[in-house]
Amino acid sequence: MSFILQLLFTGIGIGAVYALVALGFVLIFRATNVVNFAQGEFSMVAAFLMVVCAVDLELPYWLSFLIALGGMALVGAIFNLGVYYPLRHRTFLPVIISTIGASIFLANTTLAIYGPQPQVLPGWFETPGFQVGPVYLDSQYLLIIAVTVVLVGFQYWFFEHTLIGKKLQATSQDKEMASLLGIPVARMIMITFIYSALIGGIAGILVAPILFVSIQMGSSIALKAFAATIIGGFGDVAGAIIGGLALGIIETFGAAYISVPYKDGFAFFVLILFLIFRPQGIFGERVAEKA
Amino acid sequence: MKITRRGFSLALGAGVAMPAVLRSALGQSNTLKLGMVLPVTGPGADSGKYALTGAKIALDRVNKAGGVLSRQVELVTEDDQTTNPGAVLAFSKLAAQPDIVAFLGSIRSTQNHAMAPDILKTAKPVCFGGTDPQLTKLGNPWLFRFRPNDSYSGRVIAAYGAETLAKKNWAIVHSTDAFGTSGGKALTESLGKFGAKVALDQGYPNQSQDFTAVVLAIKQSGADVIGSYFTFDNDLAIFARQLRQLGVTIPWVGSPSITVANALKLGGAALYGTYGVADYAEESSPEAKEFAALYRKVAKTEPDNYGSWTYDAIGVLSAAINKAGSTDPNKIRDAILATKGYKGAEGEYNFDQYGDGLHGYNILRNEKGKMVFDKHIEFND
Amino acid sequence: MSVEAPARAARRPFHLLIAPAHIGYFVLSALVVLLISRATLDGYILNILMQAATYSVAVFGLSVVLGLCGQINLAQAAFFGIGAYAVGLGTVDYGLSYWICLGIGTIAALLAGAFLGMTTLRLGGHYLAMVTISFQQIVTLVMINAVGLTHGPDGVPSIGRPALFQTSQSYLAFAVAALAIIGYLVWHLQDTRLGRAMRAVRDNELAASVAGINVYRTKVAAFAISALLGGLGGGLFAGGFTYVSPDQFSFAESIVFLTMALLGGVASPIGSVIGTGLLILIPEWLRFLKSIPGLYLAIYGVAVILIILFMPDGIWGFIANFLRRFVKPVKVATVPPLVLAPDRTGTDMVLDVKGLSKHFGGLKAVDNVDFAVRRGGIHALIGPNGSGKTTTLNVISGLYRATAGRVVLGESDITDLSPHRRTWAGLGRTFQNIRLFRSMTALENVVIGAERRGNSLIPATGGYAALEERALAALEFVGLGPRANEPITRFSYGHQRLIEIARALAANPTLLLLDEPAAGLNSTEKRALHDLLERIAAQGLTILLIDHDMTLVSGAAQHITVLNFGKRIADGESLGVLRHPDVIAAYLGTET
Repeated sequence: MSFILQLLFTGIGIGAVYALVALGFVLIFRATNVVNFAQGEFSMVAAFLMVVCAVDLELPYWLSFLIALGGMALVGAIFNLGVYYPLRHRTFLPVIISTIGASIFLANTTLAIYGPQPQVLPGWFETPGFQVGPVYLDSQYLLIIAVTVVLVGFQYWFFEHTLIGKKLQATSQDKEMASLLGIPVARMIMITFIYSALIGGIAGILVAPILFVSIQMGSSIALKAFAATIIGGFGDVAGAIIGGLALGIIETFGAAYISVPYKDGFAFFVLILFLIFRPQGIFGERVAEKA
Repeated sequence: MKITRRGFSLALGAGVAMPAVLRSALGQSNTLKLGMVLPVTGPGADSGKYALTGAKIALDRVNKAGGVLSRQVELVTEDDQTTNPGAVLAFSKLAAQPDIVAFLGSIRSTQNHAMAPDILKTAKPVCFGGTDPQLTKLGNPWLFRFRPNDSYSGRVIAAYGAETLAKKNWAIVHSTDAFGTSGGKALTESLGKFGAKVALDQGYPNQSQDFTAVVLAIKQSGADVIGSYFTFDNDLAIFARQLRQLGVTIPWVGSPSITVANALKLGGAALYGTYGVADYAEESSPEAKEFAALYRKVAKTEPDNYGSWTYDAIGVLSAAINKAGSTDPNKIRDAILATKGYKGAEGEYNFDQYGDGLHGYNILRNEKGKMVFDKHIEFND
Repeated sequence: MSVEAPARAARRPFHLLIAPAHIGYFVLSALVVLLISRATLDGYILNILMQAATYSVAVFGLSVVLGLCGQINLAQAAFFGIGAYAVGLGTVDYGLSYWICLGIGTIAALLAGAFLGMTTLRLGGHYLAMVTISFQQIVTLVMINAVGLTHGPDGVPSIGRPALFQTSQSYLAFAVAALAIIGYLVWHLQDTRLGRAMRAVRDNELAASVAGINVYRTKVAAFAISALLGGLGGGLFAGGFTYVSPDQFSFAESIVFLTMALLGGVASPIGSVIGTGLLILIPEWLRFLKSIPGLYLAIYGVAVILIILFMPDGIWGFIANFLRRFVKPVKVATVPPLVLAPDRTGTDMVLDVKGLSKHFGGLKAVDNVDFAVRRGGIHALIGPNGSGKTTTLNVISGLYRATAGRVVLGESDITDLSPHRRTWAGLGRTFQNIRLFRSMTALENVVIGAERRGNSLIPATGGYAALEERALAALEFVGLGPRANEPITRFSYGHQRLIEIARALAANPTLLLLDEPAAGLNSTEKRALHDLLERIAAQGLTILLIDHDMTLVSGAAQHITVLNFGKRIADGESLGVLRHPDVIAAYLGTET
């Protein structure tokens, strides 16, 4: 029983990481109908920025965090201008390829600047964790879960109860109509990319103390987070969260009870099952095309 | 838009043509050339840097001592992109240069496998660092290994754990890639010979991110010692941390990755008290210390086995060519095989008929973050 | 969602290329193969060419599934790996001959591709991308972990080669010869019936299905062919390098294949070869950049973005578009006038709609509608905006599934048939927002219409010539004969509409559904349209027309059915219906 609890905790913890990255995917997809293959790299770049500030320059943790977020906002903006915006009228395939190119570029520029060694980023807390009965709760995982809850709550409030949030929703649902109503669509999309980069960055900074900061850290999470969005229901924010958590739990239990080497395969296997039997995911709407 | 497109294509064309123009401008010189295949790009890029440093230090040393056959030695390198086709292309590019006398191959066994057919065709000696025991059993007379192969690491881990530490109930944790799988296999075989039991044989995929399931499996198995083959530092560190968090304190003897500097940095206190086998250990011999001193002068990182084997390879090659008195490949080959008692940074080289130069490993212990040399275990069969 | 198709000017179809071009290709290929087998090549060049040749075959697969059919496949490396492992394991573990292993590997890849396609091609775009990625990851995991079967991560060394081609050089010559033959077949594919169907599906799925193409099966075929080519390339690769290991067939490699396809030009096998060659050679040329780790790949990433931005058709597309300006347009032949011979079996009523309903959740777009269309003449379906006319049309033509009710065409109940089967049964339609295949010429568009199964006016042995003749006749009929070989993009809106009608006519339908044909036309064009409709009706083809233009409707239609809020409110002879108080109230409102 204690094993199951331990697995559950870890599953939820890593699921929360997937959920955060998945949120970033969903946001960009809803606004621009584009799947951003560089989402994982947002997490990786932010983590490296933290290492530069907090470890190399030895700035206070909170200051480093702010600087890293500022950097990510800039990255999101440049990404929008350089990768998405020039291709916004084209079909989805060139944009996917372009984001793949961007992900290669980001990963290797970081490699060229920082070198290939994984780096250590200290966690927020001094105490590494708490023993609660038979279960060990890693404090960083607790922080991740807490921040995910807060961010989801914030996102809900932002999108449903602020004017700018509503404008963003309008843009994501119907760009043409939104612009006809006077909503500055280009600006809304810019905000979406920046926000998505910020979320991705926060996910990276949160998970870095556990997974260490390496060039590959982004891509290994991103692919699974993408699977999570589809399982949850593409285009649905709640779906991304549920999908991410579900995936984390499936993986952890699958590793323990079925096979550790095939652990990475569970995500994809479940995804294929969903795509065959329920392509709209848990929460999504039927996939249909207008005549 | 048209101008931009055309301009872009022209720029692309020019950019692509330029290197060919540049290269033809460079000239030749009367050095003795050795070729080296190494990863400059791809996931192995960091290890490539260390390998090159080790080789260059050895090169300087050899050249200062008068070079080989009274000529200065020059190293010609090619990037293998850390892929198999990349290694094949890199090697064949080097092999196409007829004035290269011998080569340094890869530390990755799959790459050496991939290059093997071309190596056979080229018929010149290749010194490599991969540890798959099969590589010296291919019947390829041109492959010479400069690190002890995995059958030895397995035996040493087993010997140390089962005899010195007297633990007989083993949990083996290994990566599912080529290195981890063959290492795990070697360890399992050796344990049988020491009368020890394998309570758990657990493979894990590289870049696992979470090892809770593995740690729980270890707890459940009732093992009293862990033997491991980890390929990547970050996996090792995450595992170590979760191991301690979940209260596992049994002794742990690991493959060389548990002894490298970066692993120690990442794993921190979680790795205190662990043991590792290492082909390179600074305190194992005066030659190892000398290598360390030279390495530290040049590089900003600690010396490790990525650079020590290339250092030794250049050393042995140079000595062998000098002894052979010519650049004839067969003569060099005979001279390498006849090399006995050569004291290198990795240990004492005594080449057997298969081309394996080393037959033992060092045991190191992690004393609060510092790797301390414990003993050397050698097999002379 | 489809990949953008490059707009092409009049292109001589493959079979019409003069014989010297085909012969020339084979002679040139033979010369190259001979040169390779005789010349002294060092190991390095050999290896590069080997990699380029075998990778090109895999990239051909992408040019088919992505370039021709517009479907994304991010698992090409997995299929490549299946073929490679089949040859590897077959020759090493089971001692089978190379040729048998190559065959097994190719078929295994084909089956895997077909299976994957069948299960997921009903979804498109991102979903397909994700499924292919997942399949790729699973295949890689199996390669690594199923050690008993695949030797695991160690890989399979000492792979056998065919007895005739034991040396590297002779094997390379064989690989290049195989490349030339396969390339020729892929090049030919786009002008076959399947190839046309693929291009139609890429350009406009809905129009393709309504033109009688089984969209699903076409996509699966494209996917299967792509997988087959991947497996074939992999088998050749295994024999060439004589060593395979799982790390060579990962997702990263699939991305490499994709980039090669895009760089060279995804629409053509020539582009595949160019892209593959460049992406293998460029890293070799740029080795000097490798001194700073990451710099080379960072530049690679930027280059990919730039290519997508500035050269979306790839290098070959760029060159081909440029060269096309120098190609003279093909002269249009004269043909006998169009014959329309609609099926006359069955009752008086060509179309019988009984109790038809279509609900979208709570919205009843069509609510228990009955009407029948008499054979011969023009019947109109009208109603104010939102009355359910287009929805009704879409249910009749099969784009929506009816919630309730039956649709009978002639003697067949077509209620549950898919759109392409309805076309085979004799239904034809045009769309409100014109749906033509934008990468093709007018003639090619209409040929696809003529090609539908069950077209009694195309003799079985007629071949492409018969199709072309009928298509030209249809274009003549709508007044666009002389411009048959121009690309769609050169036609005005009104003319495009006519081409769409010609495409439907070429299929020799029993009933022609026209969805707002007058929309966007000026008064002159509308009069011409009216004329056209009369000429069509004169040949006995029944027309069901939806439109808002009352002049056209009252002038052309003999019988009118009126819908409002999804219900039928009037049905009968034109003048009477138009004076009906309910109809007037629906359009103009009443005084309360």
